[in-house]
Amino acid sequence: VKTLLFIIGSLPLLAQQAATTSDAASPVPSTEPVLTGSVDLGYLWVTGVGGSYDTYRSIIDVHSGPKLLGADFTLADPKHRWFDSIQVRATTWGAEPAESLHVEAKKSGVYDFNADYRDFAYYNFLPSYADPLLGQGIVLDEQSFDTRRKIAALSLDIRPGHWWTPYFGWDHDSSSGTGASVFVSDSNEYPVPNTLRDSTDLYRAGVRFEKPHYHLTLEERGTVFKSDQNLYQGPGSVNSGNFSAPIFGQTLDLTSLLAAYGIGGSSAYSKALLSASPTSWLDIYGQFLYSQPHTNVNYQQANTGNFYLQSQILFYSGEQEILTAAAEQPHTTASLGAEIRPFKHVRIVENWSTDRLHDAGSAASTDTLLSPFAALPLSSLIATTLATNYSQEALDIFFDASSKLTFRGGYRFVWGDARYAFLPPAGLASSDQQQLRQNIGIGSVTYRPAQKISLTGEVEGASSSGVYFRTSLYDYQKVRAQVHYQPLPTLSVSGDFTLLNNQNPLSGTGYEYSSHQESLSLYWSPRASKIFDIQGSYSRSDLKSNIGYLEPEDLSQQVSMYRDEGHSATALIDVAWPHGKRFAPKLAAGGSMFISSGSRPTSYYQPVAKLWVPLGAHVNWFTEWRYYGYGEAFYLYEGFRTQLVTTGVRLTR
Amino acid sequence: MTRSREVLLVLLLAAAPGWAAAQTLPAGYAGSDTCKVCHEDIYNGLAKNPHHQLEADAKKGWQGRSCEACHGPGQAHTEGPSADNIRNPANLAPAAADQICLTCHLNQPTQVGRPESSHARNQIACTACHKMHSTDQPLVVRKAEATNKLCASCHLNEWAQFQRPFHHKLPESAMTCVDCHNPHGSIRPAMLQSFAANDPGCFKCHGDKRGPFTFEHAPLRFEGCQACHEPHGSANPRMLTRAEVRFVCLECHANLPVSSTMPAKVAGVVPPSFHNLNLPVFQNCTVCHQKIHGSHVDRNLLK
Repeated sequence: VKTLLFIIGSLPLLAQQAATTSDAASPVPSTEPVLTGSVDLGYLWVTGVGGSYDTYRSIIDVHSGPKLLGADFTLADPKHRWFDSIQVRATTWGAEPAESLHVEAKKSGVYDFNADYRDFAYYNFLPSYADPLLGQGIVLDEQSFDTRRKIAALSLDIRPGHWWTPYFGWDHDSSSGTGASVFVSDSNEYPVPNTLRDSTDLYRAGVRFEKPHYHLTLEERGTVFKSDQNLYQGPGSVNSGNFSAPIFGQTLDLTSLLAAYGIGGSSAYSKALLSASPTSWLDIYGQFLYSQPHTNVNYQQANTGNFYLQSQILFYSGEQEILTAAAEQPHTTASLGAEIRPFKHVRIVENWSTDRLHDAGSAASTDTLLSPFAALPLSSLIATTLATNYSQEALDIFFDASSKLTFRGGYRFVWGDARYAFLPPAGLASSDQQQLRQNIGIGSVTYRPAQKISLTGEVEGASSSGVYFRTSLYDYQKVRAQVHYQPLPTLSVSGDFTLLNNQNPLSGTGYEYSSHQESLSLYWSPRASKIFDIQGSYSRSDLKSNIGYLEPEDLSQQVSMYRDEGHSATALIDVAWPHGKRFAPKLAAGGSMFISSGSRPTSYYQPVAKLWVPLGAHVNWFTEWRYYGYGEAFYLYEGFRTQLVTTGVRLTR
Repeated sequence: MTRSREVLLVLLLAAAPGWAAAQTLPAGYAGSDTCKVCHEDIYNGLAKNPHHQLEADAKKGWQGRSCEACHGPGQAHTEGPSADNIRNPANLAPAAADQICLTCHLNQPTQVGRPESSHARNQIACTACHKMHSTDQPLVVRKAEATNKLCASCHLNEWAQFQRPFHHKLPESAMTCVDCHNPHGSIRPAMLQSFAANDPGCFKCHGDKRGPFTFEHAPLRFEGCQACHEPHGSANPRMLTRAEVRFVCLECHANLPVSSTMPAKVAGVVPPSFHNLNLPVFQNCTVCHQKIHGSHVDRNLLK
């Protein structure tokens, strides 16, 4: 980070040198690389967190310290020797929860290079999520984690703009960190620390052919994947787990544990894209995608303590398990479509697509239970299959009644089947299969009476005779309407409305779901005054869901009711000091808020204010104040509030 | 157009035949230099745009008349400088405006998904997102903040969801809408990006959830992550669709026995289990069934 800060911090100086050279050479145009852009450097203070620091970290996770707050600059070479331009963009760096760097370099007709790097903090510790021991005064999220995920991507296109373009790419995704998880034995669960680490590398190469009447892309990809997770509890400690009640007079506990996952995998992918326009009234497009990832797993577990196997009424003091497993997942996706323009005002879009995924897995394990009297080995061999075949046929007809009014009517038929099975059958559900059948009708209208106003409305309704899950879309209606109006060049207003109703009246399901959301936004920027501009939005959402289930303990009929009524608003007003001319300070103030009622009443406030003071032609000083306030009516202990103050300079060229 | 500009135009057009002769323009075309006389700011904006290569690259076929590549022959407009005498894509029906873009961009990878995209279906023209000759906006906005602002200008509801406490990091400009959605269309629902070849784009960042698993959790494969998560934002931890984990699970695993002969049966409705939901330990199913996205080791997703 320090190196990056130094490099980026020194770029404006480099730019000044380049600019000086350019000025000295005037009026002859400069042939030296020219740097333009800006860099923001500063320091951020977190002024103490009131309330739950873990919730603060789960949502915000910003820390005090020096920061590269942002960078966006372009280096252009007028001579076009090695590059035409290099663009660099970076977001906040310096122990931040989300850091990113993006570099684009290109030389017209020769190459196009992109590099992207991101580093995310994944922290989650919310006792309300998973703390069975909260009633005993133990505050612990038994499914928490503190990891960082690093994502990198490189891509290189050779001869961009030519009729054939080879390209190459590499994507990397890795994560590592620690957390809390649970070791599950037959009659108790023991929260234990764990370490997490995984990485995926994807390599790809392909070629694009682009001719006036057709396009073809062929691409091959491969991935390498590995994941290691360890659960560990050192000897000498006693973990009583989530159940402290004795069984037959004995308490269950865990005194040592080592569980290690070693997961590796690889895959090969093929991709083909095609588009063609054989005649002036017909366009054809299609794609074929195939992948076959597989994984191999080695799992080892050794634990000691006092455990109980309920099915055999057996207490045991140790367990050793070794498992090997493998899974393979051939996955084929394809689509073929056409846009037909039989008449001037009519377009017909026809599309067929399919997605077929077949997963097969097997696991062989030897589990040995150790007691003071004997060792009980338990071996098992399980095979699994999961398959889904999905298909869709869609037809849309567009009619341009005028240049301002377009109607669309469509029909979509969706069908498929899914099944899964375990062999040998054991336990609760060993096999199942379902069918999917949906008829969907669609209608929409787009009306643009003038450039300054547009209205769009879309309605979709479906009737089903088979879906995969109880909560799937069954008999549903979707509505979306958007309006945009710009009464003045300096004023625009937009509205957005969505509605979704879903009902599954079948016996044993009885699902009723309805949601709608309305938003309104306004932007006003009186250019004549150049003193201020205002932007704001307000959104209201309402969600109701009812679905029945049987209480597992006594099989009594219950209803899962979920309610969420939310209000969110954002606003920002920018004010420039009217008499400052070139060095006028600017103030921005606003922020966002969210409040909800229903199943999890929540409030979240983020007011912000920022002051800009120009110190020179290329230097601005700024200070930002930001407040975060989070509260939950049902989980008061998870609320927090904090203030962040940032100050820094923006250097521009 | 003001009176003085009209006079200036007439004077300059008087000299235009000489330029036209030098450039040997096809009949009906005026040439970019003529356009520049009145529309200098627009011409300068185009000069910063990748489409400016039309002006210089003879292979593209529009050398010296790049403006007319989109606006059509401009000779009539120069003779009678009325807006009615020139093609303005902004005044055309969106599909007609798109056809102008597709004259050159039809046979490219973006076209493969475009006709099926909700943008094309709802008459969102290319120019709604791409600016050809704006002086303050590039052809494609690249900065995360600008990209999200552009999408949010229409998708107000989706942007409002990101104001909820648990969300993907778009308001922080650490991600963009384009990281998850392909605005040109995708073979996946909701124009979702894909990872590798045909996996959901979610796995680009959540690689540990991708599998394949020895023991799969079917909804992940059949309906995707949004079966349990609100990907834009939620007031519920882990962006879940319900406030408590058990209800996410129980709404499918309802314990209602379903006969395999029922015509409209659904998956996952296992026969009764006997967990006592009054005990805190059973109120979050993922305390034990922690490998809820799929397990390499255990059929009950316990480890």
